[in-house]
Amino acid sequence: MTHSNKDGGHVLHVGTLARVEGEGAMHIAYRDGQVSDVQLRIYEPPRFYEAFLRGRSYTEPPDITARICGICPVAYQTSSCWAIEDACGVTVTDEIRSLRRLLYCGEWIESHALHVYLLHAPDFLGYDGAVDMAADHPAVVERGLRLKKAGNRLMEVVGGRSVHPVNVRVGGFYRFPTAAELRGLRPDLERALDDAAETVRLVAGFEFPDFEQPYEYLALRAEAGYPIEAGSPVTTSGASFAVREFAARIEEVQVPHSHALHARLDGGERGPYAVGPLARYTLNADRLSPVARQAAREAGLGDTCRNPFRSIVVRAVELVEACREALRIVDAWTGDGPASVPVPPRAGEGYGASEAPRGVLFHRYVLDDTGIIRDAQIVPPTSQNQAGIEADLRSMVGAWSDLDEHALQHRCEHAIRNYDPCISCATHFLDLTVERS
Amino acid sequence: MSGPLVIGLGALDRGDDAVGAAVAAAVARRLSGVTVVVHEDPTGLLDVWAGRSPVVIVDAIRSGAAPGAVHRFEIGGGEPGAWARSAYGGTHAIGLAEVVDLARALGRLPGRLVVVGVEAERFDHGAPLSEAVAAAVPTAAARVCEELGHVPR
Repeated sequence: MTHSNKDGGHVLHVGTLARVEGEGAMHIAYRDGQVSDVQLRIYEPPRFYEAFLRGRSYTEPPDITARICGICPVAYQTSSCWAIEDACGVTVTDEIRSLRRLLYCGEWIESHALHVYLLHAPDFLGYDGAVDMAADHPAVVERGLRLKKAGNRLMEVVGGRSVHPVNVRVGGFYRFPTAAELRGLRPDLERALDDAAETVRLVAGFEFPDFEQPYEYLALRAEAGYPIEAGSPVTTSGASFAVREFAARIEEVQVPHSHALHARLDGGERGPYAVGPLARYTLNADRLSPVARQAAREAGLGDTCRNPFRSIVVRAVELVEACREALRIVDAWTGDGPASVPVPPRAGEGYGASEAPRGVLFHRYVLDDTGIIRDAQIVPPTSQNQAGIEADLRSMVGAWSDLDEHALQHRCEHAIRNYDPCISCATHFLDLTVERS
Repeated sequence: MSGPLVIGLGALDRGDDAVGAAVAAAVARRLSGVTVVVHEDPTGLLDVWAGRSPVVIVDAIRSGAAPGAVHRFEIGGGEPGAWARSAYGGTHAIGLAEVVDLARALGRLPGRLVVVGVEAERFDHGAPLSEAVAAAVPTAAARVCEELGHVPR
């Protein structure tokens, strides 16, 4: 990557500005016009963190794992809290659960707004990126930035700060926001709800290639409401299991071309599976609030959605849901009760799961009787989706093999962006290697 | 809010990516009356710098120079393409270069925007600043102070 700057007639070539810290590459091989190989090569920080967590205290995972991702720290914090509390046999109060959901709504709003407006919409509107799109559609981009800001603000008020919230601890929070603090968010959230509804109308008008995924979908199903901060896994094949079973049902396997592990459900006997907005929607459309369900209907979504290109519509509907949920929790919030429950350490194994913006994130920890972490396992959504992304590309690229390299790269990136993948946090670019033979 | 603003950009526990924050802290110790913030999310910059000028952003840079080398360049408001965008094809976060171009397209660039960069060596998870980059912090901080018209102490 190269940055250049003309300053006083000089050109300064600056290689890579920091915050570009991962690797993401795609390898596509053709033989006789047919795709012979598609490999997505990604670097995944959770692997490093699993090793880093061993030997640390059971109170540390919410802070440590939040650093894995600048876009979805709340997901890492929440799944780790559930898992540690499970290991210690502790249940948190309804107020703590509500606040976790509210904080998580902030992350969904922030992450989905970023993805929909700045990363994915340019693909549909024919722009190379958000900058070019902003020149022609400034009001659209400003709406996306406003939505993202509303999500960040919510995370600041509940979480202490927006990028890596510091108010989260095992057992709950360091302090509860007051009712007045949360009420102060209302004007921003009402505006965000309007902006989210407008987002659904915008993206519903995009053109979507015909493509239907045959894969099994896996999402959480909550006791009530749309799954955000908690729930138990269910799949479109009818399987359902407790979060505690995930390590037995989901197997991570090393593939030679990637630092990341590929995940297989039930030994891979039913082929690849996918997590994320399409899976959540397909398994939980009945749980959307009336306003989000209405928005989905107006956008032409049925009870299920299996076209990955339409994931942008589902994300927009989920923006409506997150804004609506945030308003509901803010309105009901009293700020009463203890901000955390005691979590005395004990030897054991604990499991946690939550719906990160890009799909289910599983955590598992093994503690000794003093609370030292003896083993840690993190199964992020992108590794679960990796086999599906490659299968999508394999199906699609065959039809696109006559495109020139630039157009092919753009199409492939669009197809990958359907998943909003977390290819190492803050990775900005993707290299394409095409072998034609 | 108006007046000068110094922004240290970068993640705190990714090796030399934390140099922006380290330089910002050093500037805050030297200067009073100048707002200094540390920020991790480049897309938030449009709001952070709203109404401010001059704005100095301190970030880690990789250009092939020796680790610890200090760069300085000014972002012009009226030169589209002056800073080649790098984030095309990005799948996730948006970098400083793209945010600057985005701000330009939306008419939200500060009146004067300067980047002071420190050549980075490594971005390993959990790593501290490399020796060369840590040694460059005082130089970079002095450069920021000069940008704001202050003689470094």
